[in-house]
Amino acid sequence: MFGIPDPAIWVGYLLALVFTLACLVYGLLNWNNGVDGEQDGS
Amino acid sequence: MAVDTGLFVGITLVYLVLVIGLGYLGYRQTKGDDDYMVAGRKIHPVVLALSYGATFISTSAIVGFGGVAAQLGMGMIWLTVLNIGLGILIAFVIFGKRTRSIGNKLRAVTFPDLMGKCYGSSFMRYAAGLVIVVAMPLYTAAILIGGAQFITSTLQVPYNTALIAFAAIVALYVVLGGLIAVMYTDALQGGIMLVGMTILLVLTYVQLGGVIEAHTALAGMSDLVPEALAAGGMTGWASMPAFGSSIWLTMVTTLVLGVGIGVLAQPQLVVRFMTVRDSRALNRAVLVGGPFILMMTGVAFTVGALTNVYFYQNQGMIALAAATDGNVDTIIPNFINASMPDLFIVVFMLALLAAAMSTLSSLFHVMGTSLGFDVMRRTDSGKTAMRPIRIATVVMIVVSVVLAFILPGSIIARATAMFMGLCASAFLPAYAHAMYCSRPSLRAAKISLVVGAAAWFVWTAFVHVKESAALGLSNLLFGVPAVLSAPWQDVDPLVIALPLSTAALLVGWVLDRHEASADTEESAGAA
Repeated sequence: MFGIPDPAIWVGYLLALVFTLACLVYGLLNWNNGVDGEQDGS
Repeated sequence: MAVDTGLFVGITLVYLVLVIGLGYLGYRQTKGDDDYMVAGRKIHPVVLALSYGATFISTSAIVGFGGVAAQLGMGMIWLTVLNIGLGILIAFVIFGKRTRSIGNKLRAVTFPDLMGKCYGSSFMRYAAGLVIVVAMPLYTAAILIGGAQFITSTLQVPYNTALIAFAAIVALYVVLGGLIAVMYTDALQGGIMLVGMTILLVLTYVQLGGVIEAHTALAGMSDLVPEALAAGGMTGWASMPAFGSSIWLTMVTTLVLGVGIGVLAQPQLVVRFMTVRDSRALNRAVLVGGPFILMMTGVAFTVGALTNVYFYQNQGMIALAAATDGNVDTIIPNFINASMPDLFIVVFMLALLAAAMSTLSSLFHVMGTSLGFDVMRRTDSGKTAMRPIRIATVVMIVVSVVLAFILPGSIIARATAMFMGLCASAFLPAYAHAMYCSRPSLRAAKISLVVGAAAWFVWTAFVHVKESAALGLSNLLFGVPAVLSAPWQDVDPLVIALPLSTAALLVGWVLDRHEASADTEESAGAA
């Protein structure tokens, strides 16, 4: 994958992208949560 | 340097005017201790995310660790996985929200202050403050060296002049403007870094004929691995080192785990969680922080490894051979200077300058507040004045500059890993315990902090050969550079000290609970 033959490397790249996507999704889903006194989604 | 010096000087002056302007804005908005130390607890989420990211990512990450990726290959991408997974997701969602809410409730203004107030103990405050005051100058000096090296190689100014001017400019806005100035300038610097790293990634792939082509070419260079590195377990630049080999242990335990986990208990990052009004700001910051870190370390490690393809195709040598005096910290600057268009050299130079300044400013600020507020404060009233903190900041800056003149040039990545390893070993279990236990055990935290710091020091000074040989204590006392042989001497201190400090915390906590329940039973029996 990505022109990299060693899975131990391309899995790292894949995970880095997945975690970045997780940050984006988390931020969007909780965009308005967490104002003091409200449930903050954590 | 290929770039027109006039162009570079002009753009740098504009940048410096902006930085000083933001510093002045911070100075004007700083009216009291809360403003100086936690930016008035009203920072915008985007400023928080960029400031956190820009502080997190220094020249160490780009030049130092990029250079290490050029030497050891793409396995460094696992550090990016931890940087985003732990450094952003876990840090903000698990630790950040609790830190903000507890810090706000207790009116804590620094990391040692937070620890002291959570545990109701001045020992915790002093101990955390002392670890920062003693160890952080090493990391700060490494950041100074990284910045000065790049200024020297790009502007052709004497190294000493570059180092002193660099420290003086940052010192000016940190001392006067406090954390508001630091975070505003960080946000500007983070933006510049994002632009620089994005262009660097795109231009590198364009130069090498595309993503797949570049990676395939790198994978095809495995037979060019130098004999010494192959003997240490290196198999190529697009593959992991042999499992359990000396290079594998260094990459996985020191660089990936040491830095990846260490970030969770970095005082200069933890204090940022206390600068926002509510958890919503932290949620929003996650959205910006994740992609930002990917574009910083992910790009630095990828481009670092790919410099081998560039140097081989254009100069018939691997990146390590293209390094000045064999110093891996020079690989990325040499690659940029050799391969990129003039204008981009200026942009990247600014990005590196920004990366160094943003990290440096935060370290100056944390060292100053730790010394002036946490260590030297005479009473527990929490009352203080900005003047002693400003004086303490100047003192710590001078110490760091002196250290930068003493330390060797090739220290950037190692000093970063050492500092992060020490922070995690000493602080992480006690910090997590304070955040997630309604009645945290002071005894457990004390034992954990002392055991973590001591274990880290012993392993660093007597076992981990890369440091113990340089420190010379092991040689002085036992006549050998490291008291244990391979593979132990390649295992990073964090891998030993963090489990020990965690175990120490658990033992102390269980003992405390056991005694508490015995006391309760005794009182019930007496009644």
